Amino acid sequence: MQLFKTPHIRFLKYKYIALAATGLIVLAGFLNIVFGRGLKLGVDFGEGTLVRVMLKTRVSVSDVRQQLAAVGLANSVIQETGKEGREFQIRTMEVASTKADETLESHEVMGNKVIEALRGADGQAEQARGFRDLNTIDLKTLTALLETGFPEKGEELSQKVISERNTRGIFADFAEVSAAGLEPGVLAFLKDKTYLGKLTVLSRETVGPQVGKDLRKRATQAIIWSLIGMLVYIALRFKLANGVSAIFTLLQDVLIALSIYSFTNREINLPIIAGLLTIVGFSINDTIVIFDRIRENQKIQRKMPLEDLMNLSLNQTLGRTIITSGTVFLTVLALFLFGGKVINDFAFLMLVGTIEGVYSTVYLSCPIVLLWQKLFKPAQGARR
Amino acid sequence: MKSSLRWRVLLTLGVTALAIFLAYPPSRKIKLGLDLKGGIHLVLQVMTEDAINAETDQEITRFQDLFKRNSITFTTAAKEKPGRFYFSGLALDQEGKAKDLVDQYTRDWDYAFVGDRMDFTLKQPAVQFLRDQAVNQTLETLRNRIDEFGVAEPLIQRQGTDRLVVELPGIEDPDRVKNLIKVTAVLEWKLVKAGPAETEAALLGGEGVPVPADAEVVRGDPKRSAGGYYLVDKVAAVTGKDLRSVRLSQDEWNSPAVAFSLSPEGSRRFEQVTGENIGKEIAIILDSRVISAPRVEDRISGSGIIRGRFTQEEANDLVVVLKAGALPASIQYLEERTIGPALGSDSVRQGLMAGLVAIVAIMAFLVFFYRLSGLNALAALILNIVLLFGALAYFHATLTLPGIAGIILSIGMAVDANVLIFERIKEEQALGKGVRNAIVQGFGRAFTAIFDSNLTTIISAIFLFQFGTGPIRGYAITLIIGLMANLFTAVFVSRLIFDATIPKTAKALSI
Repeated sequence: MQLFKTPHIRFLKYKYIALAATGLIVLAGFLNIVFGRGLKLGVDFGEGTLVRVMLKTRVSVSDVRQQLAAVGLANSVIQETGKEGREFQIRTMEVASTKADETLESHEVMGNKVIEALRGADGQAEQARGFRDLNTIDLKTLTALLETGFPEKGEELSQKVISERNTRGIFADFAEVSAAGLEPGVLAFLKDKTYLGKLTVLSRETVGPQVGKDLRKRATQAIIWSLIGMLVYIALRFKLANGVSAIFTLLQDVLIALSIYSFTNREINLPIIAGLLTIVGFSINDTIVIFDRIRENQKIQRKMPLEDLMNLSLNQTLGRTIITSGTVFLTVLALFLFGGKVINDFAFLMLVGTIEGVYSTVYLSCPIVLLWQKLFKPAQGARR
Repeated sequence: MKSSLRWRVLLTLGVTALAIFLAYPPSRKIKLGLDLKGGIHLVLQVMTEDAINAETDQEITRFQDLFKRNSITFTTAAKEKPGRFYFSGLALDQEGKAKDLVDQYTRDWDYAFVGDRMDFTLKQPAVQFLRDQAVNQTLETLRNRIDEFGVAEPLIQRQGTDRLVVELPGIEDPDRVKNLIKVTAVLEWKLVKAGPAETEAALLGGEGVPVPADAEVVRGDPKRSAGGYYLVDKVAAVTGKDLRSVRLSQDEWNSPAVAFSLSPEGSRRFEQVTGENIGKEIAIILDSRVISAPRVEDRISGSGIIRGRFTQEEANDLVVVLKAGALPASIQYLEERTIGPALGSDSVRQGLMAGLVAIVAIMAFLVFFYRLSGLNALAALILNIVLLFGALAYFHATLTLPGIAGIILSIGMAVDANVLIFERIKEEQALGKGVRNAIVQGFGRAFTAIFDSNLTTIISAIFLFQFGTGPIRGYAITLIIGLMANLFTAVFVSRLIFDATIPKTAKALSI
């Protein structure tokens, strides 16, 4: 099956427009990052505490915000992560103490405050009567509790309950508890000894400033070195112009992806860095495929001007570019739609990057090589 | 079958079998990272200065003893800072004698005479040794505590000079474990001189009253005792080091408590102190907080119990930390991540779902678009994933979220390699070449592009692995493995499938 006959689009006719457009987008993104909404560094880089919670009943973001504002945490970044208005991701910004060695602990304090504020007075009456919260109880304690009513069977029963809780995240009512396959007697026992708290903490992450700084430094270092590695390899296999152009293309990819990302309310964490690197990976792949075709065509069509050669190569590889990017897009779309909350930010970035990567390969990598050749044109006939 | 074809088939089958053997069953062979499985990730800083401080204190006492025994007179001995102390008021004519004594006793301290003062400084190698030892001992102690508590597959590692990384997968009750790790667990029994009182001033009998030289003020742990302030002896009667064994027990009201028995040396001292102080209170102090201060009713020798309003779990945890011993230095948390089991299992389930959807979509697309050749690409793709998991299992690499990103990129590039080859074969066919010729040319021409793009990415991933931290390394490792597998499957195996299935005389190719 053929997607289409090899087309004859004069892509590079619009190279100056494209370069200008790219410049504008990058400039806009840069301005937005520096003066506008900026890039939100996430908890991985030592900024606050990230708490993910799941609630028994539906609430709105503004409700959550109000509850947090009541304890002076109005500036927290609140994101709804589940589809049912029951899951939230909250990152605190306020710090209880500014002393460097106490920062982590104060972040922890803030994390506790978030949880307490959301929990409110829930469960206090039950706890006073000696009831246990079935939504937060741990395996060992539940086992001990069940042993008192069902000797020898406590472990097995509590494992059933906990694994059911793990799939659901939280029990909304005892009907959901019974879905664990419990006999009526056990359920009645649990109803008698436990209650269902309104909130469970899914995860909690805090990175202290020292480690945050460290992670930032290491991430930057790793990226710079890997870019240098690519530059050297491409320059060796092709020409210096290609290497330089590849790096510019990548920088642009990263900048555009980051600026679009910065317009959303999402934060930069280590998985996002991995996402950026993946975009870079795909983009460099596209770029090399085209460079490779140009290199090959140069051997066949020795007289053809470089610009025409590039147009020819771009057209010849167009089918492949569309098919490959299409499949990658499908993959990332699947991640975006079904991958769950943890992976969602990452998938979003990848979606942006995949679309943008195709554009940059066609309209940036080749024009830069052309520009470079024009600027540093080798002596007549000195073709390597 | 031609012999070259035969060994290629054998090689492919062998590699496949090996990978399946390594990775099967994946649920057991592939380790999931904490972000996918749930658990605790901690980075701790060992405050090695504590160890130096403790060593300095000990040495001051030892030097005082040494000087007194050899009748060298001095007025004061004081610590300036950890690793530095001085003796002052030394008689000038005893300088030489002091020097000889110190030289005989230790080589770890540099000393200098300034007037009637003798300044001691801990030598740099000794400082290094102490710091190193403190970190290693902390690591060992934490490992003992965690083993005693019972965690499957804990990871405790040293990172850099004074940091420890602790990873505990699948923890149900993170706060409890965190407390278990954090307590220094220095346990002391000290005689109570006064207290408890509401404030420090009330305890000492007025504002600005100095603390007696042989005593110190300790706060009561509000959770365990009445709180307030206690004035206790500076020197402990016995400490955690004198413990021979500890176990979970109950007091006379059936509340959880910790029973202990002392070593012979500890028993002797405890017997003496309690015998001389019947009717007084003795404070049990854990990490500088009084947990209880029972009255000494009778002479106590070898054993007793510790009370402190414990819950069953708290008493149990105290047994765990006392068994493993005290930390040589306190620790500070630098990073702490707790991923609940619900979130972890959710991530895995949804990740698998997304992965399946994506792979099915890609496969459907490949077969729809490239027909029978698409099946070839599909076989290569599946083999690629099998090899990737085999290698992950072999290297004991853990699969994390960024690692999944690496897999996506390598799968994307694997599909791309097939697309490049197939499109090239079509081009060659369009130029009027025969099927066999088009296949040979297609693979040959596409090879440089595939090789260069894969190698570029592998090179960048190697740097990422070298310089990156945790998640970025996880990304780099799956990417490196995936792309290497890709070079094998897309170029070698895919070609092999064509060679083995398309007869030389074929007139048409389903592509």
